Amino acid sequence: MKLAACCALCTLGLATYALTQNSPALSDGGDGLRLVAHNENLAAGFPMSRAPIELTNPHEGDARAVETGKQLFIAYNCIDCHGADGSGAMGPSFQDGRWHFGGSAGAVFESIYQGRPDGMPSWGGRISNDQIWMLTSYVRSLSSADVSTDNFTGATVERTGH
Amino acid sequence: MMRASSVALVALLACACSKGERSATDTTGAAPVRTVSGTRIAFPHAGPAGEWQMPAGDYSSSRYSDLNTITAANAQNLHVAWTFSTGVLRGHEGQPLVIGNTMYVITPYPNVAYAIDLATEGQPLKWKFRPENAQQAAGRACCDVVNRGAAFADGKIFYNLLDGHTVAVDAQTGNQVWRTRMGDLARGETITMAPIVVKNKVIVGSSGGEMGVRGWIAALDVATGKEVWRAYNIGPDRDVKVGPKFKPFYAHDRGKDLGATTWPGDTWKTGGGAVWGWLSYDPDLNLIYHGTSNPGPWNQDQRLGDNKWTAAILARDADTGEMVWAVQTSPHDLWDYDAVNENILVDLPIKGQTRKVLVHFDRNGFEYTIDRATGQILLAEPFVPMNWSDGIDMTTGRPKTRPEKMTAEGKNVKDICPSLEGGKNQQPAAFSPQTGLFYVPTNNLCMDFESRRVTYIAGTPFIGAMAPEKGGPGGYRGEFMAWDATTGKKAWGIKEPYPVWGGALVTAGGVVFYGTLDGWFKAADARTGKLLWKFKVGSGVVGNPVTYTGPDGKQYVAVYAGIGGDMGLLIAGDVAANLPYDVRQRGTTLPDLSRWTSWGGYLFVFSL
Repeated sequence: MKLAACCALCTLGLATYALTQNSPALSDGGDGLRLVAHNENLAAGFPMSRAPIELTNPHEGDARAVETGKQLFIAYNCIDCHGADGSGAMGPSFQDGRWHFGGSAGAVFESIYQGRPDGMPSWGGRISNDQIWMLTSYVRSLSSADVSTDNFTGATVERTGH
Repeated sequence: MMRASSVALVALLACACSKGERSATDTTGAAPVRTVSGTRIAFPHAGPAGEWQMPAGDYSSSRYSDLNTITAANAQNLHVAWTFSTGVLRGHEGQPLVIGNTMYVITPYPNVAYAIDLATEGQPLKWKFRPENAQQAAGRACCDVVNRGAAFADGKIFYNLLDGHTVAVDAQTGNQVWRTRMGDLARGETITMAPIVVKNKVIVGSSGGEMGVRGWIAALDVATGKEVWRAYNIGPDRDVKVGPKFKPFYAHDRGKDLGATTWPGDTWKTGGGAVWGWLSYDPDLNLIYHGTSNPGPWNQDQRLGDNKWTAAILARDADTGEMVWAVQTSPHDLWDYDAVNENILVDLPIKGQTRKVLVHFDRNGFEYTIDRATGQILLAEPFVPMNWSDGIDMTTGRPKTRPEKMTAEGKNVKDICPSLEGGKNQQPAAFSPQTGLFYVPTNNLCMDFESRRVTYIAGTPFIGAMAPEKGGPGGYRGEFMAWDATTGKKAWGIKEPYPVWGGALVTAGGVVFYGTLDGWFKAADARTGKLLWKFKVGSGVVGNPVTYTGPDGKQYVAVYAGIGGDMGLLIAGDVAANLPYDVRQRGTTLPDLSRWTSWGGYLFVFSL
């Protein structure tokens, strides 16, 4: 019961922020993206379901969203924290298959929307939800399978000195 | 314990002593030192020789100690005396302080302070202080969440928090005395540098040169934490404190509001020029010396002009912050060559004359020997492989740049040496009057540099460039060297497989100490560079060794082991993400380093 109440709160939070946003610009901004329905724009009031709502990316599977997301990744300075191609620098890598706050489309959307405590700024309200979804598409496209083992044996070891 | 006001007094008294003598308070392990003729550390060790009261041991930033029990003849017998885990797995730059029988340790973020009782077996804590420190600071710091140490005066420990605060802690009780907000985290201002205390003022400066900050240096009252003065490094004269006292040596540095007019429009407002490096102080001239960071953004097309006073060495009046002279080592910097490295204040014989100089090993690859009263460059020679310049024009003080190495938007310039990490970075050098030599931890890296347009968004990086690095020429990526700043020549060098990112310590025992990224702590003969001893510590070393006399009368050497800082970025896939077990290699700069070290957070203490 306690858990369900908590989920309802989270859901309410999501619903509230989604509703306070203007709808994303629906015009064709030159990138040819189709008009989309936004699942995050929930009806007012408590949702009927007690299960947490998993947001889905309206651009899921659209290669053009990945390409636009890549341009946004540079335009919004994501690149200088997360590195070229999301290889990691000040901020974590997107390539290693490890997600500190979840790797689902909805979780990545939330990370960008809300920000995260280690310094990730909150972009919700500063850029459109549609752009956040396209950033989500790009970021998730960078991920490769997690590799648990690094075996150094037999690897070329570059050393001089000593 | 010594109060701040008497530190300056002792410094003045000691100046009056003849060469090689030390003040009467130095009783532990001190001995008359034979010095190279005409060579002198400008201002002596703070407090007794057996203590380490300032980040660099003295106002001169010499990192020299009169302790001489450990010698070149017996250093091979060094062994671990005790260790301490700081509880933090991040880059441990900086160094502990030793005052009386207490050692003070500051950790990387969350910037915990420990007071360790050296007089009791097992080194129990006297206290532990955990400051309030905003977690989002961790992601606003460009280059790991380091802290470079504390200062001591008036019975208080002063240090900076990553989230932009300066705190004073009672050295006896560990209680916070005051806490002052100095930086704005929302604009990317963090603080990582070690303060110094000058005449009842704590001097601190900002980090954030990669975040479009407007860099500053400020003085706080020791007793209350109230800001006494603050000087910006860019902007109009009023803000940068340029007035009647400002007498730069070179003509192009004279003029009205150069800190604003050498920038297009109001780009100076987000132009960087932070003060995240080391501070020095000359009590005779009453001048504080500090460097300023790179201009922002890295993309030079967005900030045409000299971009004063970024990438510069500045001399300021300690009482008011007024600028007295300036030398811009990299005017209109094109390569992220901050000038924040330490300025070592020494007297050196140059062309038959003893000169009061400041010696500075710049990121741009040149060693500068500068008259510290006037700002005149007396000598500037490259100390690492360097290919962007044909040397420093001694009539203007400006570097002669090679067109083919000049970066610009849309260009990808290949093979620039040194890389943006510099020929030397934050890892401080040391100076010994016994040998007249500087002991310099250096990098040998090169880079490609590709600039692009970037938009200023508060609290996000304002960089606009990619600069992948690689090993420099010669098959090594770092060298620990002895350097003669009177001639601009290397005396000896120990080549290292990785950049030497830890600082140096040199002692009257003729021994020089340093640590390596692959986790070796080493002792070498200060005269010859012969390796005397090495020990594999628990993590890569990016900290600076100190030495002190324990309550048992023995000489100890202490150093942090905990890889990180900018070099930590090169080993870990997850730098800012609290996943310390993830040490997979990334990039190509140091492809094999993660085989030799993992994150750590230790203090190692050695003795004979």
